[in-house]
Amino acid sequence: MIEIKLVVNEKPYNLNVEPSERLIDALRNRLGLLGTKEGCGEGECGACTIIMDGKTVNSCLVLAAQANGSVLTTIEGVGNRRSPHPVQKAFVEVGAVQCGFCTPGMVLSAKNLLDKNSHPSESEIGVAMSGNLCRCTGYDKILRAVKIAAEEGKQ
Amino acid sequence: MKKRGIGLGCSWYGTGYGNGFPDVSSAFVEIHDDGSATVLTGAVDVGQGSNSIFAQIVAEELGLEAQDICVYSGDTDATPDSGTTAATRQTYNTGNAVLKAVRQAKSSLLVYAAREFSCPTSEGIELKEGYIGVKGDPSRRVPLADLVFQARLRGERFISAESSTARSTPVDPETGQGAPYWPYSFGCQSAEVEVDTETGVVQVLKVVAVHDVGKALNPTQVEGQIAGGVTQGIGYALLEELELNEGKIKNPAFSSYLIPTALDVPNIEAFFVEDAESTGPFGAKGLGEPAMLPTVAAIINAIDDAVGVRITSIPATPEKILKALAEKNGEVKKH
Amino acid sequence: MKTSVVGSRVTREDAWGKVFGQTKFPADVNLPGQLYAVVIRSPHPHAKVLSINCDYALEMAGVVAVLSAKDVPHNAHGVLFRDQPVLAEYVRMVGDPVAVVGAETEEIAREAAKRVQVEYQVLPTVFDPEEAMKPDVLPLHPSLRPTNVLYHMPIRRGSMEEGWAKADVVIEKEYNTQHVDHAFLQPEAVLAHLDERGHLVVQTATQYAHYDRGEIAHALGLRFSQVQVKTLAVGGAFGGREDISLQVIAALMAWKTLRPVKMENTREESFYSHSKRHPMRMQYKTGATKDGKLVAMEAKIVGDSGAYASWSINVLRKAAVHATGPYVIPNVSIDSYAVFTNNPFTGAMRGFGAAQTVLAYESQMDLLAKEIGISPLEIRLRNIFKVGSTTATGQVLTSSVPLDQCLAKITPYLQRGGESE
Repeated sequence: MIEIKLVVNEKPYNLNVEPSERLIDALRNRLGLLGTKEGCGEGECGACTIIMDGKTVNSCLVLAAQANGSVLTTIEGVGNRRSPHPVQKAFVEVGAVQCGFCTPGMVLSAKNLLDKNSHPSESEIGVAMSGNLCRCTGYDKILRAVKIAAEEGKQ
Repeated sequence: MKKRGIGLGCSWYGTGYGNGFPDVSSAFVEIHDDGSATVLTGAVDVGQGSNSIFAQIVAEELGLEAQDICVYSGDTDATPDSGTTAATRQTYNTGNAVLKAVRQAKSSLLVYAAREFSCPTSEGIELKEGYIGVKGDPSRRVPLADLVFQARLRGERFISAESSTARSTPVDPETGQGAPYWPYSFGCQSAEVEVDTETGVVQVLKVVAVHDVGKALNPTQVEGQIAGGVTQGIGYALLEELELNEGKIKNPAFSSYLIPTALDVPNIEAFFVEDAESTGPFGAKGLGEPAMLPTVAAIINAIDDAVGVRITSIPATPEKILKALAEKNGEVKKH
Repeated sequence: MKTSVVGSRVTREDAWGKVFGQTKFPADVNLPGQLYAVVIRSPHPHAKVLSINCDYALEMAGVVAVLSAKDVPHNAHGVLFRDQPVLAEYVRMVGDPVAVVGAETEEIAREAAKRVQVEYQVLPTVFDPEEAMKPDVLPLHPSLRPTNVLYHMPIRRGSMEEGWAKADVVIEKEYNTQHVDHAFLQPEAVLAHLDERGHLVVQTATQYAHYDRGEIAHALGLRFSQVQVKTLAVGGAFGGREDISLQVIAALMAWKTLRPVKMENTREESFYSHSKRHPMRMQYKTGATKDGKLVAMEAKIVGDSGAYASWSINVLRKAAVHATGPYVIPNVSIDSYAVFTNNPFTGAMRGFGAAQTVLAYESQMDLLAKEIGISPLEIRLRNIFKVGSTTATGQVLTSSVPLDQCLAKITPYLQRGGESE
């Protein structure tokens, strides 16, 4: 077992993890953060997207030990029913959510884009969201929601 | 060189199990003492949004808002069997069952209210904005909650169970003659593509989709179904293929079985046509499957329009496009 | 009818839970003391299971049970026919489940699964449906059909002789479509346990909880009233969650061990455990007059049903019924076949047989238009169904046939684009 320190959603944790343990498993099984989803296990679908030290990563491709000392944001750390993040609000209002399995990863990719770039162009939005697969919505309303959230941020 | 073309595709789709198979949906409705209501159905919401549709149907009938309705579904210990979430059947079939159920619960509520308001027939009673009262006399109405609560004290409850069965008949096994589905949904789509004649890559620039929905119970969800269907249609036409070798799947992974990403999806303009289907709830027909049907045809026809080759085997991969272009050029040279 | 809530853009209640990551999909539920189960799947497309040696697996610390065909009270399930084994003694496709390991952790279960030794007698295979149709090919389901032809649907309308006589232009072509996966984002998962009532409770993502309940009850010899199937959030389906996948196996393991049982497919396992879209070979011959009126159509459609029937009869029926497209054609002859092979089984997928034929009938329309010298829009306008039209099955369309309205709306978008470098 390896001892690691993490800050997840602004809370510090000391965890003992297996050398081969993936970050997604540590988040889901040790911390009970089940909003991070596994869709493919090979970094293709983006359902397990989290924000690690300001960058989006596929948590199925990162070893928990590699995250030692990192600051992480999972979906549980973004917004709540009283005060949703503008991305979350836009997703709901525009109708960007269907089955919802890709949604946590989508929200985190969008949030991280807007954190870095409050005035993204349509093509920048497309590129930022292209690592997250969705099989239901055809992306149309997802891309619109990100655009609306960006505009809301500008005001 | 990059060449552009436009293609058109039309389609039709018979919804429901079809061919005379009993296509039954069921629903339970209870109107609560505070004027809210619960509907129970076996219809599983697989992400397409059927639960919202049922909430809207019940709210519409009871003069409430959708958020006043609790929809619980897909639990065999609590909900009646409403058939499978497939065959584009839940809005139409279970929608009809929910509508019948809420109308049945409502009919005893109206009879009770007619007595309370000294109205000789329940035809004179209406439910609106959370109130129940006399049609045309806004001074004589009470909150729905008051009436339902008072009714409980007198031993009356407004609950119901209903089923709805779609119509279809088996076809003749020798001639295929019969009326196997009802209703049918129609649609058409156009695709504008750009074909790179050097790489064979086809990029879809724009899709316009027009679908017949009878009545759009929720336009946001209609648009969502259309965009999702078009995108699956793009995958079907250009990208997706399970590769098999002696029955073994060579690409059982998202790194090798490619589905469209946000960058593969063009500008999609979705429209719907409302021509009420008399047997549907509020005139509605299903849209789930029809939304993906015309896309493949629109794209394949657009490729021909762009570069003059007819692709007859999908997906229309760059290799197939280049081969077809080479054959075409060869033919031109021969003549 | 004037409505206020119906027809409005009501936001979905479930969307909030989904944007906050609160929504529970079946992989997100657990119970104390649960086992993890992993399926051992056949590497062969057609084989008899001669023996299964579990000794090496059972030796491992943490392995609780290895179950196979002999442990299933009624070893069959299926949507139309119960032709699919829960755990196979006779394998008809690569990926057929032959045994299941239950262990204390997923890691142990996956390791133990590798140590289960299955001895197979490999049998002759057939992968091409037209080859499989031949009467001398070994039938895959002799108790269901004497040959591999599971289904043939003919449609006969009018007179082909008259139809071809009227045709000024005839287009004949073959079209082919591929196997497609549903690729829903959420891989299959299930949690099964025996609750305090002694009822078997199965939490999963399915398209039809009541069907799953019936198949689980049947396989285990239980009453419907003893089995609860509770649908959690479903991460996309598109037809791929119609046939039952892990649900019966997890229920069996829970029933045998009296422990809660969790199963989660990897993406690769997911590809092997649900149906596929039918590949179809479609030979079309369509005739029209020089005015662009369709007068005759002949089609032969062969769909690869793969190893099991699933919904193939209904899919190939739907393909046949929709094969003309939404057009009036007075003389029609269609033959549609579903054929067993040793490929992955095919079943329901969005479009359900009507998705394949669109490629054929709409390509034919464009080719006819070109030959006749009218626009693709024009040939469609001259033939589309309207209220009162009769389909190839003789059905009269009595109401709500607004394809003309759809085409009117799309017409402004049919301008041809230019070239660009």
